[in-house]
Amino acid sequence: MSLEQFKNRNIGEQNYKMLDIEHRPEKSWDRFKQAFGRSIKIELFIGLAVTFGIMIRTLFRGETHTIRYPFEKIPISRRYRAIHEMKRLLESGNYRCIGCGLCEKICISKCIAMDTRYDENQRKEVSEYTINFGRCIFCGYCAEVCPELAIVHGDRYETASEQRASFALFEDMLTPIDKLKSQKEYPGFGAVSPNADDNIKKTPLAY
Amino acid sequence: MTTFAFYFFATLITLLFLVTVLSRNVLYAMTALAAGMVLISGLFFMLDAAFLGAVQLVVYVGAVMALYSFAMMFFDANKDIKERNGSAVTVFLLGGAIAVMLVVIFTAPLIGQGVASLYPPAEGATNPQAVGLVLFTKYLVPFEVAAVMLLVAMISGIILAGKKMDFSLSVVEATKSIDSKTIDNMDNTEKKGDK
Amino acid sequence: METTMIHEVTWVGVAIKALIAMLIVSAVAGFGTYIERKVLAWMQRRPGPSHVGPFGLLQLAADGIKLFTKEDFIPQYSNRLIFSIAPVITAATAFIALAAVPIFPDFTFPEWIPLLGGVFVPSIAADIDVGLLFILGAMAAGLYGPLLAGMSQQNKWGIIGAARTAVQFLSYEVVTGLSMLAPIMLVGSLSLVDFNNYQTGGIASWMIWQQPLAFVLFLIAGFAETNRTPFDLLEHEAEIISGFVTEYSGLRWGLFFVGEYANMITIAVLASVIFMGGYSDFMLIPGWLMMGLKVTFFFFLMLWVRASWPHVRPDQLMWLSWKVLMPLALLNVVITGIVVMVTA
Repeated sequence: MSLEQFKNRNIGEQNYKMLDIEHRPEKSWDRFKQAFGRSIKIELFIGLAVTFGIMIRTLFRGETHTIRYPFEKIPISRRYRAIHEMKRLLESGNYRCIGCGLCEKICISKCIAMDTRYDENQRKEVSEYTINFGRCIFCGYCAEVCPELAIVHGDRYETASEQRASFALFEDMLTPIDKLKSQKEYPGFGAVSPNADDNIKKTPLAY
Repeated sequence: MTTFAFYFFATLITLLFLVTVLSRNVLYAMTALAAGMVLISGLFFMLDAAFLGAVQLVVYVGAVMALYSFAMMFFDANKDIKERNGSAVTVFLLGGAIAVMLVVIFTAPLIGQGVASLYPPAEGATNPQAVGLVLFTKYLVPFEVAAVMLLVAMISGIILAGKKMDFSLSVVEATKSIDSKTIDNMDNTEKKGDK
Repeated sequence: METTMIHEVTWVGVAIKALIAMLIVSAVAGFGTYIERKVLAWMQRRPGPSHVGPFGLLQLAADGIKLFTKEDFIPQYSNRLIFSIAPVITAATAFIALAAVPIFPDFTFPEWIPLLGGVFVPSIAADIDVGLLFILGAMAAGLYGPLLAGMSQQNKWGIIGAARTAVQFLSYEVVTGLSMLAPIMLVGSLSLVDFNNYQTGGIASWMIWQQPLAFVLFLIAGFAETNRTPFDLLEHEAEIISGFVTEYSGLRWGLFFVGEYANMITIAVLASVIFMGGYSDFMLIPGWLMMGLKVTFFFFLMLWVRASWPHVRPDQLMWLSWKVLMPLALLNVVITGIVVMVTA
């Protein structure tokens, strides 16, 4: 498809109905008939019936569209990108982050700052990890780029807080150690899809 | 009680009409006029002429409302109006003379022999019925003449206002800058339009 | 029926009646805002006010507190005096009009009540024999409120609202008068008590069966008179911000709406007394309850229409009033006149 075709493509079904705007009554008698017909036409009263029916349904069948927000919340999409979470390894309880720095590198608003060092076992560990949520645009690149699925987007979208630094520290985002049991494998943004195995080939040994 | 009410109403009405005449602010003048008209109906109610009182209320409320719409069109309601008085002395003398004449005309019969109603209201008739009886028997001709005059005024008003109803100033303004050819086209479409 | 017993109308009775009418109407006018919000919400699939008190009933108190504590604001270049008295005109005339409206049937306080025992309370505070004209005049005078408010506040939306007030007044007033004229010819009186007594014989004697056209015309004009939705031109938010109330806040703003709701009740009472049998008893239902039911129905109708129908432009209202409704009303008057002449 060329660009021209792409721009001119038809989206959706083209069953528009043109209104007969040109046709206007010319004589005053015709205009009177039109006004009279419009005011007497049953449509006006059908409108009344519709609203009355909706009132009955709202009152007696509880069909409202209102979500009483602080008391009830609608489930958000799994791919919703809210405040970040840092995950732990389910077996050892250690944090998953390997300090590779990819998220810091890819962050387009430069809001992730991390510092790493070697611990006593010569393993890399994260000594400092913060996200400046005043700058974060929640693009999701960090979660997408993370090779360990360590940084993910959670479902915490109510971000009003007393200070700017809330939620921003590594400890704030990390799953608490006592909640490890309830940590679920993250299915959302940046996670591998359920059929990921079908989409990749086995890496040959010779590589 | 009635005397007190009369003087109360009379003072208020006089004050309000004074404001109407003396104020330079359109808004004050119009509001005082409307309030005065409403209060005059209070005088009618006091005289047990309830029908006339209600008519006063209905008619003058509408009339002053129409005056208001003129005031809205012609004046900035919140600014004082500069009045042009040629000679204050002449205005004062003429106005005073007319006022004195009116007072004399209306009080002379009162002082002279007292006033008796020529057509006393029929016995047992309620107020609107009494008015109706007098209006449609003794005063039928003036009543009809007044009706015809109002009709004439209405028709002439419609003719005066309706003369240029198809002429739209905004269309002319919009097309002033465009060349005359487009104006011709616009005029043609105007005639074909919904008017 | 103890028709032989003639009660003396004392000033105590009239004062009590005025007090009752005043209290009930201002309470209902306040409560009406709650009802309006609830009904409109239900018709739009919302629950409406529901947090303050049971079913949101105390929302009224919350609104009142808010209105009381709001800053009372007068714009710098406005005409302060006129700006201040305009809301009072609306509210006061609405209640003055109620003086000549019969709301409940006559009753006498039972003897066992101390102080008030045996006091006769008339159905109407001031039974002047031109009741209808008086109500019309008082309600028309109420339109000075919006007009003055719009003109005094030095705000272009206010001025447009004021201009629309004049347009609306000049449109509907003729229709109101002419549509009432035909029932008046049938009853032969301008007093609303006579109207009520004309239709005491059950549903079949209601005026609405004799004058269906007048009823419809009166309702349409009443909607315009109370500034309700198909004709809410004065303060239509989508077009002219708030029209004449643009610069108002707090209690002054509230007064306009007390007046508007009182006018709604007056129109509802008028429609029920003139066309729907008024406060006469209906089978087992006592008159005062009947009246309450009818007024409630008309009040609900106003909200119902507001939820359902779009509003018209000022020129459309004028067109409708002068070119459609007024000829129809005149026709109705002529036909009624012929019928009255033939049958009399």
